[in-house]
Amino acid sequence: MADFSSYNRYLAVAARAVRRSLQDGPRLAAERRGNMDLRFAKWENGKQGEVKNLADANNQAIASQAESK
Amino acid sequence: MFSRAVRPAVRAGTVAATRTAPPNAANFATLREIEGRLKSIKNIKKITNTMKVIASTRLTRAQKAMSDSRAYGQTSNTLFEQAETKPLEDKKTLLVVASSDKGLCGGIHSGLSKATRRVLADNPNSDIVVLGEKAKAQLSRSNPDAIVLSFANVCKDIPTFADAQAVADQIALLPTDYASVKIIYNKFINAQSYEPDAVEAYSEEAITQSPNFSAYEADEETLSNLREYALANSLFWAMAEGHACEISARRNAMENASKNAGEMIDKFQIMYNRQRQAAITGELVEIITGAAASAE
Repeated sequence: MADFSSYNRYLAVAARAVRRSLQDGPRLAAERRGNMDLRFAKWENGKQGEVKNLADANNQAIASQAESK
Repeated sequence: MFSRAVRPAVRAGTVAATRTAPPNAANFATLREIEGRLKSIKNIKKITNTMKVIASTRLTRAQKAMSDSRAYGQTSNTLFEQAETKPLEDKKTLLVVASSDKGLCGGIHSGLSKATRRVLADNPNSDIVVLGEKAKAQLSRSNPDAIVLSFANVCKDIPTFADAQAVADQIALLPTDYASVKIIYNKFINAQSYEPDAVEAYSEEAITQSPNFSAYEADEETLSNLREYALANSLFWAMAEGHACEISARRNAMENASKNAGEMIDKFQIMYNRQRQAAITGELVEIITGAAASAE
């Protein structure tokens, strides 16, 4: 658990691993359920910040976490 | 020489006459206008009808996903019901508004925004997280200071658990410590009606303070995991239910739009026929009077 910043991220990684190890037929159906294409923006003092892709932001956060270790 | 010089002027005169349309052609012009309007209404009807058919086919899938995720979310909430968890009063609340990006589906987005404002008026010490462009546009006009996060691209298709997890993850990363998270979503009652409702996701403190929680003998360490997971579960439930509501509302809205377009087409068709008949009668009267005058 220590390697993950949150339980949900841990679950997401575990779920991805399971999906990728499935057989071809079920895998395609399962991977469609794993798609996530959200964009998000932080708000400060009533102003919308920069709109970012959530998956990219997560990957960057993971990468920077790995580097800092 | 003279005739050649005068000809362009004559030609210019005839062109001007056809452009300005002589007064006796007034009926003719409106006839053309009605015809154009009729055509565009017919096109609109085709479009709304197609959207209705699409929404109907998506509705069955959305409803299935909704009933599955409802069972899932309610199971997840059973723990808190059994433990009789209550939200803490004194600290900040986070409102998560589960709307979506697309319009053309009646009043479900404004219903959600109104419900959010009502909750916000009851406990002003709250922050808002918005899912979806529509509610974001509405809430950013009335309560821009309360918004802390907004998500776009939500609920394009049936929401996945990965979506809910990613949102829950971002909420967990927020700097403020919230006593409870209220997820405001549209509750699906039947295909015709839906109403804004809220599900709660509790903080660790609220969970530990709940009266019957000791019966579960849970470790302290796992509590934050439980909290995040429960938040993702509730979000997933709310998003799936909101999605089904949206599709069903869109189906109804498009059905009504098609019906109204049909009524308008009937009305314009009658008006068109009447105008045309009037124009023909007018022409006939002119011909007959002309013939009678020349016969004398």
